[in-house]
Amino acid sequence: MDNGTSNSASENETITLKSCDGIEFHIDARIANRYTLLNNWNGGESACIPNVNGKVLEKVLEWCEHHINDPQLNCGDDDSRRRNTIIEEWDENFLSCDQDMLFEIILAANYLEIKPLLDLGCKTVANMMKSKSPEEIRSAFNIDNDYTPEEEEQFRKENEWAEDY
Amino acid sequence: MITLPNECYYPIFNNLQDNYKNLLSCALVNRQWCRIIIPILWSNAKDHLNDMRLIKIFLLMLNTKEQALLIPFNIILPSHPVPLFKYASYITSINDDLDCGITRWLRYNKYETGRLKNVVKFSLISMFLRTNKSLKCLSLNSNYSNKFGSERVNTLLEALYDNTALNTLDLYNNKIAIILD
Repeated sequence: MDNGTSNSASENETITLKSCDGIEFHIDARIANRYTLLNNWNGGESACIPNVNGKVLEKVLEWCEHHINDPQLNCGDDDSRRRNTIIEEWDENFLSCDQDMLFEIILAANYLEIKPLLDLGCKTVANMMKSKSPEEIRSAFNIDNDYTPEEEEQFRKENEWAEDY
Repeated sequence: MITLPNECYYPIFNNLQDNYKNLLSCALVNRQWCRIIIPILWSNAKDHLNDMRLIKIFLLMLNTKEQALLIPFNIILPSHPVPLFKYASYITSINDDLDCGITRWLRYNKYETGRLKNVVKFSLISMFLRTNKSLKCLSLNSNYSNKFGSERVNTLLEALYDNTALNTLDLYNNKIAIILD
């Protein structure tokens, strides 16, 4: 199928990737063609992807496979893509995993330069922060408040204007 | 618990950049988030320079030289602790809304607004040029019919000379005259 991308690999070609804990995945070569960094670990007998474990790599590859026929966006679309916080149903289900896994997927997508997946993960986290108070966000993400009360008070005063727009 | 590096937080908060209230809540979560969010939030402040609360913050960022320019006019600057961040350094463009914000601040503090507006504006613009590496566009469209002393113009010209970021300077029909005292 011609989707305007330069996929030289045919549909039946597969490549082998290995996670950092030694789990092997045989994937459609078109995926590796699309995300250059995946290609770097193609085929090496002992080469494995550092920093990404089997559980996470499986999820990442599942996402790549589902989106294999998506049109590739060029960099110019970056901003509009990011501002639009609507997420497709399949992606939403895909990322409704526990928070640790969501963060692991973001880290892996960042590391492997799979930009659309990174954007998707970031959007999902941003949506989890929407319309929440600082206290609610802290408890949702298990974060400690390291402000002194005086600092917090001063910060609120200096940024008061932003409440009104 | 997995933590994300800062580079992953930028795109997350960028998703929220149109919702200031949300950004503010996130900035109040902890210091790490705050340091990432302040540049995002304040890069939007260029659209609200007519808000006198912003003018008040900017006046707190004047250095002694810029403050000294205001002394002959008996302008009492806000007395507030030193701002937590260099907020003025995130403003990317300055337009006539700044005049409006300064006028509001002067009126609120019961000063006359005509001549003083330009006096304050000169000090503020000198400060912006001095502190700001992201200021790309400066447009001075008000009428500077009042003459300014060489000290004031020199401060402005010095700041302009030292600034390497600016790529648009629009003076409209203004001439900034240097009068030798």
